[in-house]
Amino acid sequence: MEVFDHLATGFMAAGTLQNLFFCLIGTVLGTLIGVLPGIGPIPALAILLPITFGLDPLSSLIMLAGIYYGAQYGGSTTSILVNMPGEASSVVTCIEGHQMARKGRAGAALAIAALGSFFAGCVGTVFIAAFGPPLASIAQQFNSPDYFALMLLGLVMAIVLAHGSVMKAVAMVLIGLLLGLVGTDTNTGLTRYTFGLSGLWEGIDFLPLVLGLFGIVEIIRNLENPPPPRDAISTRMRDLWPNKQEIREAIPAALRGTMLGSILGILPGGGAVLASFASYTLEKKITKTPRRFGYGAVEGVAGPESANNAAAQTSFIPLLTLGIPSNPIMAIMMGAMIIQGIQPGAAVMTTRPDLFWGMVASMWIGNLMLVVINLPMIGIWVKLLSVPYRLLYPAILLFCAIGVYSTSTEPFMMVLMIVFTVFGYVLFKLGCEPAPMVLGFILGPLMEENLRRSLVISRGDPMIFINRPISATLLVATVLMLCLIIFPQFRKTREEAFQEE
Amino acid sequence: MVIKSPQDFGAGILFILFGAIGLWVGSDLNFGTARNMGPGYFPMIICGLIMLIGLIVAAKSLAVEGPAIERIQFRPIVFILLAIAAFGLFIEDIGAIIASILLIMFAAYARKDVNLIETVVFAVVTAAFVVIIFVYALGQPMPVWWGR
Repeated sequence: MEVFDHLATGFMAAGTLQNLFFCLIGTVLGTLIGVLPGIGPIPALAILLPITFGLDPLSSLIMLAGIYYGAQYGGSTTSILVNMPGEASSVVTCIEGHQMARKGRAGAALAIAALGSFFAGCVGTVFIAAFGPPLASIAQQFNSPDYFALMLLGLVMAIVLAHGSVMKAVAMVLIGLLLGLVGTDTNTGLTRYTFGLSGLWEGIDFLPLVLGLFGIVEIIRNLENPPPPRDAISTRMRDLWPNKQEIREAIPAALRGTMLGSILGILPGGGAVLASFASYTLEKKITKTPRRFGYGAVEGVAGPESANNAAAQTSFIPLLTLGIPSNPIMAIMMGAMIIQGIQPGAAVMTTRPDLFWGMVASMWIGNLMLVVINLPMIGIWVKLLSVPYRLLYPAILLFCAIGVYSTSTEPFMMVLMIVFTVFGYVLFKLGCEPAPMVLGFILGPLMEENLRRSLVISRGDPMIFINRPISATLLVATVLMLCLIIFPQFRKTREEAFQEE
Repeated sequence: MVIKSPQDFGAGILFILFGAIGLWVGSDLNFGTARNMGPGYFPMIICGLIMLIGLIVAAKSLAVEGPAIERIQFRPIVFILLAIAAFGLFIEDIGAIIASILLIMFAAYARKDVNLIETVVFAVVTAAFVVIIFVYALGQPMPVWWGR
């Protein structure tokens, strides 16, 4: 079995003391930041990104992945105990999980979320191990037009799934694409949109951009509209275990959620948010007792929590095999990989098998660590919720500033961070969600390059996108997605889905 | 002309401006042809699309009711930006300790009702923490105290 050989390579690479240590640090820090109300995985990743830069590539990727699902998991804890979703994918957990907590079953809800996530994480890891290599070999048949079409599909999916107005999301993606083009044109060596600033010759730096847009704007947002203080529901350790009835309800839901999440994660534009909403809807549809939903249905916790974790893992597949991020979080991951000097794509698997498989193995290890650090230490995380925001935000801000400074001592980087804070603030005031912008920013140069190559191959004939079966299929999917946005019925469901937040 | 959705109207104008500036700044880039795309080809298309979306969003804001733009509160954003600027200005020459303390102090004043003593204590403790963790534990190259 080749898969097991690969996984063995991975566990060898990820199992070194150093990597285990960084995996632990990543999951702990991720949980720490994720637990804080109002900070979802995107700001959490942005804030913690700089501390991974000094490490070697594998350790840094392991740590980043750890931060990601740590933040994801921390978000669920806050949702259940405080009814404050830290991120979009925890919203549905909020609905049922918090109701369970109010009935005194907070411990059970937390345990179900943790164990469901762990199970989903295991399946997700196997999924990546099993589907990674075949997908990578398919990826080798991808040519420029196919890549272009795939990126187009990914961007359109990101628009479909973005919060709020569709038109604004389209504009965000486009602005991101344009920002991604700033710097030296690879083809001609000419600088574009640098305004004569040498700091922009190599393009806009990723870190000041994400920290400004997500980390700092988040702080200002919270200062302008302080979230109402809510008391966390206290839990005692002995209440932690779900009873038989709850286990019976949770297991099938977790299985369904895991399957759904694993599949949705692979799709372009898919990911944790889509998976948790889809799973919740599914559970609500197939249950025999729909009346319980909204009042603490166990399936409504087990399903979505498993689904979002499975999807969080499998959404690494497109990134690692095709080199294309499927959602804004993966775009941040890709940004981090590029900073580490790794161009994500099918080549990683053959040239750096230790890196690829090490990361896959570390996901499983990280998930195990999450269960171990979360369940017994839940009390500590809850304590964290009582740290007053007036002390928290200056510390987060300091962390952002040090992060930028330690990766580049160039004073221009601080200026850039200030510029993006102001820009993000304006966007926030105008009701624009900046998440799709990161995706555009990362994909901008790639899209241009692939468009250019495609048109060189076809001598300027755009029919090349339709004549190739792979790109034609992807374009048909893109058009279908566009129709979905325009189709009123779907639009209504989409709006309703986001209403629940 | 009545603006029914101020937020969308503002966003529309922002997009139009963004696209226009993009077109204007990029106007000296060679557009090229589809067969041989110049450095201006892709950016010009994107800028055009951004302007188009801006026009649609702005036009819609005249017809469809939407949320008002929330009042801008100057205190948080101004103090947060000052905090970052202070850190950026002083880290290189005066060092991480003073820069961190300044950042925390400025940031704290982004809220009203600041408890000065608490803030000073917190700032000093955090600065010490930063130096221990980042400079000594993680070995980040950072001047600690007057360039050392």
